[in-house]
Amino acid sequence: MKKFVSRRELLGLIGKTGATAAVLKASTALGLVPETTVQFPDIPSVNPANRPSVVILGGGISGLTTAYELDKAGYDCVVLEAAPKAGGRCMTVRSGDLIDEVGNPQICEFDDDPHMYFNAGPARIPSTHRNLLRYCRDLGVELEIFINENKEAYVQDDAMFNGKPVKNAIVTTSARGFMAEIMAKNFTGHELDQPLNQYEAESLLGAIRSFGDLSEGDVFKGSTRSGYAHGGFIEHGVQKDVADFSELLKTDFMRMILGQNEGETGPVLFQPVGGMDKIVQGFTNKLEGKIYYDVMVSSVNLNNGNGVEVTYEHKGMKYKIEADYCFNCIPSHLMTGIENNFDEDYIEAMHYVRRGEAYKSAFQAKTRFWEKDDIYGGISWTNQKIQQIWYPPHGVFKEKGVILGAYDFGGGMHFTKLSQEERLETAIRQGQKVHPEYRDQVEKGITIAWHRMNHMLGCAARWARDRGGMTAQEEHLYHTLQQPAGGRHYMIGDQISVHSAWQESAILSAHWAINDMVKRQSGISTMPGQKLS
Amino acid sequence: MKKLISSFALVLVLSAPAQQQTAFAQQYDKLDLDSQPLSNKVCATCHGSYGVGNPIVGGPSLAGLEPWYLKRQLESFRAKYRGNNKNYIPGNEMQVSVARLSDTEIEGLVSYIATWPSVAPEQTINGDADNGSALYASCAACHGINGEGNELLGAPALAGRNDWYMARQLKLFMSGDRGGNPDDVYGQQMRAGVQALSSEQDINDVLAYVSTMN
Repeated sequence: MKKFVSRRELLGLIGKTGATAAVLKASTALGLVPETTVQFPDIPSVNPANRPSVVILGGGISGLTTAYELDKAGYDCVVLEAAPKAGGRCMTVRSGDLIDEVGNPQICEFDDDPHMYFNAGPARIPSTHRNLLRYCRDLGVELEIFINENKEAYVQDDAMFNGKPVKNAIVTTSARGFMAEIMAKNFTGHELDQPLNQYEAESLLGAIRSFGDLSEGDVFKGSTRSGYAHGGFIEHGVQKDVADFSELLKTDFMRMILGQNEGETGPVLFQPVGGMDKIVQGFTNKLEGKIYYDVMVSSVNLNNGNGVEVTYEHKGMKYKIEADYCFNCIPSHLMTGIENNFDEDYIEAMHYVRRGEAYKSAFQAKTRFWEKDDIYGGISWTNQKIQQIWYPPHGVFKEKGVILGAYDFGGGMHFTKLSQEERLETAIRQGQKVHPEYRDQVEKGITIAWHRMNHMLGCAARWARDRGGMTAQEEHLYHTLQQPAGGRHYMIGDQISVHSAWQESAILSAHWAINDMVKRQSGISTMPGQKLS
Repeated sequence: MKKLISSFALVLVLSAPAQQQTAFAQQYDKLDLDSQPLSNKVCATCHGSYGVGNPIVGGPSLAGLEPWYLKRQLESFRAKYRGNNKNYIPGNEMQVSVARLSDTEIEGLVSYIATWPSVAPEQTINGDADNGSALYASCAACHGINGEGNELLGAPALAGRNDWYMARQLKLFMSGDRGGNPDDVYGQQMRAGVQALSSEQDINDVLAYVSTMN
């Protein structure tokens, strides 16, 4: 067998593993998982005779969170929303809904059935997003399990197996098998003496063998974990042929797929029953009479330290509203086109944030064709521009279903630049590479190019221009925009987080701002040390 | 505080908004374009409130633009003379945004936008204004010595416009992405005129000079 890893290299790896394990022992393994430092707001109730007024610009998740918390504490809250409905990017599309893309408005023609919906924005809730989950609980939003990773779904890459789609299980078991074989073969008695004692070494070797489902002699001869070619119940199962590993090395999907089961895409994930916007409804039910729709903000000005003055238009009429505080989740790239009197450095920070480019499309499927292929929920991966196909984890065995037909999660404007017809045709053509019957099965496609959605013009904000993360200058700009302008105007939303594109970040940005306001009101200094004068 | 509360109350009385958070699907059964000016519905998203412009999304200021010029550009986008370069996103966006506008809607938009007060643009491009002054000599023939424009020649005013936007347009004229269509008479005229500029530095210099006219 060709040797891929030298003994010296492997020893190094094992040594590193030992060191990592030691670190784990000392911290996270004992329950010290990283936790947010933002506390859940504890807002002192206000004097009902003198309620502070708050104007909240934008009814996205962060705006709704702010309104809900401050309203509960007795503040006089008003939410001004530009669209005819709240939620911002937390948007579910159903029969008859308008997708308000600038220049390309679409009306969704899916069947009118509760399970026939598409979550055009956020679509999954990781179990560690505890603030969002807490709101789901408090607001009575019923949840069900969302399935992200499904080994029965497909992986398709033009470079691999002549472009033929293969089951995720084949890729996963083969990748693990071949990696385990390399590890186990190099794991001899001599090296065992070095960093590990015998018990530890045997334990690790056992894990390696199990990780890769190795056969006798530490050889990978395929794994029944990827299913049988046939049989397995009444007659003995016949194992599938071992996949040609050199084919798997032709694709980038191996590393992507092996990482899907951990982190924010790993189990357990949730989705609200009936659509992600059930969360929005949960909030709006609690804010009856406080949200005003079709409102276009035209100026936001600080009032000499005594609050904020906002002007807006509603159905052709102009209005002015003054409030003690303003919480603003209007995308920063749109605020740059709204008159204001903020400081130069605040405006500079606002100008810096980049607009997200994510794109999604969806189809109504005439039949749940994926279920005939043992697929129930989960994601197929492809190297086509559509990148992914998502199967609904809900509505199992119903006649039809809504599938995600493309998800470009940023870094590309391929679909956005195409016409509606080209977008859908491309999605169908590329989907056929994963499911040959695709063209006959899908209909009534919709597309959501977040870069062009009215009142938003962008998906998740990006602070870092470099993949390496935020520079010191970017950190500075971020913290500049996080601070309240004039002590009264807070920018909020996932744009004011270092982890945009998650509802949890939007909520925490609101919590951060509320906590900061409470601290300032109570005279608690936000500076270290004691305030002298 | 009393003052603030009363202003809240005033707004609530004035706006008397319909509380519509009912069945979500029903809210969107038709495009609600009749109930408010189209410009407010769509233009403001990119061009800022009352057309003050928004460099971050690439929407130039509209306030103060000559109505005849604005009308012609809306028609040029609709006719697909402009906005074809797939790598120039704001142009693509503008093209699709106006694709469905009727002549009447364009007239309505233009006369509404004409009511917006002009805003002084911020200078964002630095260059050698002296060299720019020399280069501007050929521009002045159509756009006027003080950048005031000349409707008879179809040349808009340059004073008061965003320099970053003009820089992009000059480049689009140079590449033929703007003014490249044989039916776009005025665009072709400018495409010929832009040959007087030969480099990025020329563009910066001439725009530095144009900024002095604001």
